[in-house]
Amino acid sequence: MRGFRTLATPAKYLALVAYLVFLAFPLLWLISTAFKPPQEMALIDPTIIPADPTLDNFRLAFEQQPLARALLNTLVIAGTSALVTVLLSIPAAYVMARYRSVVSRMTALWVLLSQMFPFILVIIPLFLLLRDAGLYDTQLGLIIVYVVWSMPFALWMLRSYVVGIPVELEEAAAMDGAGKLRTLKDIVAPLLVPGVVAAALFAFVSAWNEFLFALVLLRTPELQTISLTLVKFIGAEGVARLGPLAAAALVATIPSLVFFAIIQRRLVGGMLGGAVKS
Amino acid sequence: MTTTVATRRRPTPPGPQGQRRSFLGLDRDGLMLAVPALIPVVLFSLYPLLRGIYLGFTDAQAGRNSETTFTGFENYSQLLGDSYFWDSFRIGLIWAFGVTILQFFASLGLALLLNQKLRLRWLARTLALVPWAMPPVVIGIMWRLVYHPNAGILNSVLKDLGIIDSNIEWLSSLSLALPAVIIVGVWSGMPQTTVVLLAGLQSVSEELKEAAAVDGAGPWQRFRNVTWPALRPIVTAMTTLDFIWNFNSFSLVYVLTEGGPGGSTRLPMLFAYEEAFRYGNYGYAAALGNAMVLVIAVFVVFYLRRRYREED
Amino acid sequence: MRRAATIVSAAVVSAGLVLAGCGSGDGAGTGGDDGPVTLTFQSLAFQPESIAANQQIIEQWNADNPDIQVEYLQGDWASVQDQLVTAFEGGTAPDLVHYESSYLQDFADRGWILDITDLVPEAMTDDILDGAWEAVTFDDAVYAVPFLLDAQVIFANKALLDAAGVEVPAPDDPWSWDEFAEVSKQLTDADTFGVAWTLKDPANRMLNLALNFGGGFFEESDGASSAIFGDPEKEAFQRIYDQLYVDKSAATDAIGMGGSDPLPGFFAGQYAMLPKGIWFRQQIIDQAPEGFEWVTIPALAGDSQAQAAAPQTVSVAAESEHPEEAMAFLEYMLNPENQALLAKGDWMIPASSAAAEDPVLTETPDWPVAAASGTFLEQAPFQRVRGYEEWKNKVANPSIEEFFANAISLDELGTRLTEDGNEILERYNR
Repeated sequence: MRGFRTLATPAKYLALVAYLVFLAFPLLWLISTAFKPPQEMALIDPTIIPADPTLDNFRLAFEQQPLARALLNTLVIAGTSALVTVLLSIPAAYVMARYRSVVSRMTALWVLLSQMFPFILVIIPLFLLLRDAGLYDTQLGLIIVYVVWSMPFALWMLRSYVVGIPVELEEAAAMDGAGKLRTLKDIVAPLLVPGVVAAALFAFVSAWNEFLFALVLLRTPELQTISLTLVKFIGAEGVARLGPLAAAALVATIPSLVFFAIIQRRLVGGMLGGAVKS
Repeated sequence: MTTTVATRRRPTPPGPQGQRRSFLGLDRDGLMLAVPALIPVVLFSLYPLLRGIYLGFTDAQAGRNSETTFTGFENYSQLLGDSYFWDSFRIGLIWAFGVTILQFFASLGLALLLNQKLRLRWLARTLALVPWAMPPVVIGIMWRLVYHPNAGILNSVLKDLGIIDSNIEWLSSLSLALPAVIIVGVWSGMPQTTVVLLAGLQSVSEELKEAAAVDGAGPWQRFRNVTWPALRPIVTAMTTLDFIWNFNSFSLVYVLTEGGPGGSTRLPMLFAYEEAFRYGNYGYAAALGNAMVLVIAVFVVFYLRRRYREED
Repeated sequence: MRRAATIVSAAVVSAGLVLAGCGSGDGAGTGGDDGPVTLTFQSLAFQPESIAANQQIIEQWNADNPDIQVEYLQGDWASVQDQLVTAFEGGTAPDLVHYESSYLQDFADRGWILDITDLVPEAMTDDILDGAWEAVTFDDAVYAVPFLLDAQVIFANKALLDAAGVEVPAPDDPWSWDEFAEVSKQLTDADTFGVAWTLKDPANRMLNLALNFGGGFFEESDGASSAIFGDPEKEAFQRIYDQLYVDKSAATDAIGMGGSDPLPGFFAGQYAMLPKGIWFRQQIIDQAPEGFEWVTIPALAGDSQAQAAAPQTVSVAAESEHPEEAMAFLEYMLNPENQALLAKGDWMIPASSAAAEDPVLTETPDWPVAAASGTFLEQAPFQRVRGYEEWKNKVANPSIEEFFANAISLDELGTRLTEDGNEILERYNR
């Protein structure tokens, strides 16, 4: 990287700025809309910076829709799913990495296939299945679904981390008489922390952002997730009350954004590990 | 998957040297470790999947007293004659190819930039991750605001720049809605692809690049001869997955256009969702899902072949 | 780890259920033996005023009836169809369901909503307009109580009308479509289009307007409906098309708009007239800049001023454990006084004849025009078509949008509505 010198630097900056505009432009507009009073929204020449910024939209958003409730629901659902996903995935990923067995292969195949099947094939039977099990329209039902459907990625990611851990470490422990479970707990798990964080984060974000399963599997307004509540804002004949809509959308994004900001470096590191070492 | 005597084995690295003596290749510890994950997977993913595939060969319908009978290929002969199905598949393919290809080039460009020491790189890096953190529903709402014909920012900017003189109906014009939606797809899918490609770039050996530079190779040659070969497996995997994800995508377009105008953005998943949960035709919807699997299978086969060839 | 255990055990339990193949048990019963009955009511109200009216009515009822408590659930028009289908299928439907008459036929066929013929009190039967009752009656069975009616009118920018010397017609002497076309041309200049037809998801609206010329779109034989597209059906399409592409007095940039999208252009004087439902008054009042003056122009007259009565309705779910209590609440919720409140909240016309006289309503802006348009509502054929929802969404909305975008011809539109359309309807007629 040190010997880096080209004539093309200005062009690179130009390109970078273009990317920045493309990436940031919609975000800025969302923020701007969230702070605009309705009269300013109906202007024929919209402004980026609201002339008369207001917090009214946020108040309206929280008043008109059970936004706070939805945020809490989503936090619980996404948090629980993330936790359960990694707890189940760590041992399974270990098995996938360390055993050359039919199960490992089948699991690897399933990891791949599960990414490929259109959800429609799964969601109709899941709907019927959860209904018959009394889990339709419950948060538990949705959590189970999220766990199962974020596990493939968690497994894939964690498996590659396990592969990256030298087998010799475990052999040494085995020689000392430690059983496999203990080896996993004492030797492997601590080394997996970055991978676990990344996997948990991924599971959390996918659950937080998920829409289709929630749309089909949750009915009761008190149980609903933030995405469902947002779609409700779009109301009759597409009458979008733009201000409160933007405000609510902004609020819905903040938790996962903050989460991302805190964890960003690790996540990227985790993805790198996952992507490169596999 | 129950009681079997398993010989205790040392952990074996995933090399070619394992022998198979225990049940399913797992000893007791292995089973204990794998089973907690396997049960929910079998119940809530494998079983529904198989049942879903089966439903595609029945006339299952919503309704209190409706009875389901096996109808073989009747759904499929209906699909073949259903022009809305063909339209939707055509749109789905345009969307999936469009998004995947644009997304790949946009992400590659960004990853290359981010891999260099540039000012503002931190900002671009952060911003590039933002779409990932956003729920697709929010992304949809946000772009609806951007594309809004009079209150939206896009028209206003384009007018100020003198590129257009009257407002454009981005999301409700028959010819523009699909391209407009594809742009949103690119925007929202860029982070994953960028991060993975960046990871790939960072794993490319600096020595090799420097050696190539010493040999007098220009930036393009270095990219072609050193970077690209190292990147290729990742690119194959990522674009294949991207394609499949995009072909199966739902939420973004559901929020943006709900398949309109004139059905011009009705992706296969939207079509299937409506069949199942708006009109209650479970069987027909599942048949659509099976048809989608066929399309995807082509790409999976392609991917697996590449993958195995690369591994060997 | 406890969570994981819970999930695993839940998984095992559900596996047991699945293996045993027992599907029927709804199980979830609302426990209460002797305690108060709790009813759930899902409303589609979305304007703040109307949500407030709903809640006010429910609060009052709950205070007066400690034995029958009603719980308000907020639904939304955008996803109500999917939502109700899954809720009815999943056994979690609310006891009382707010929706629209055109969907009742399908729901009744699938056994999801209750035949309430014998539960409707006589006073209610007498108070609510016959035309509205007709819209919810199928094969002599009543499946809902109708309460809110919409009607198509035209909103106009008063300053632009005045400047062009156009006079607003009286409700009893409405414009013909020809006069309307003339006025639109007159109002059109370099900066302004005479009219903005917003034609997103246009099927309901167009089927409504077609009644002006006697276009019914469906005919019935042997109990099976099929779609038709003859001259009466074509008329309204052709006229709007001409405004867009021949007279150029209608804004082509507005055709893709829905909801409040055209308001900025309307306020800015880009569009002089805006045909919409009467409920839209509220949107205008809500968003209009200060000093903006507008008027309501009565519904146009073709061969008649007829429009389809597609009332909003409340039905009782077939699975409800307390149908009688549900009806008792409905009787209260939809009494004349409350209907007036609800109608005002949504800026629509009440189905109750007594409510229409209520000063709460008669004092809203341009009420006479709104009320007058209510008298032309009649029963439309499309309301009793099995599979109408699928026909409308899959075939009608997209192809009508394409027609108005000038992408397909009127004949092609007809072919799609009838040939493609009938293929869909056949599935329902089996």
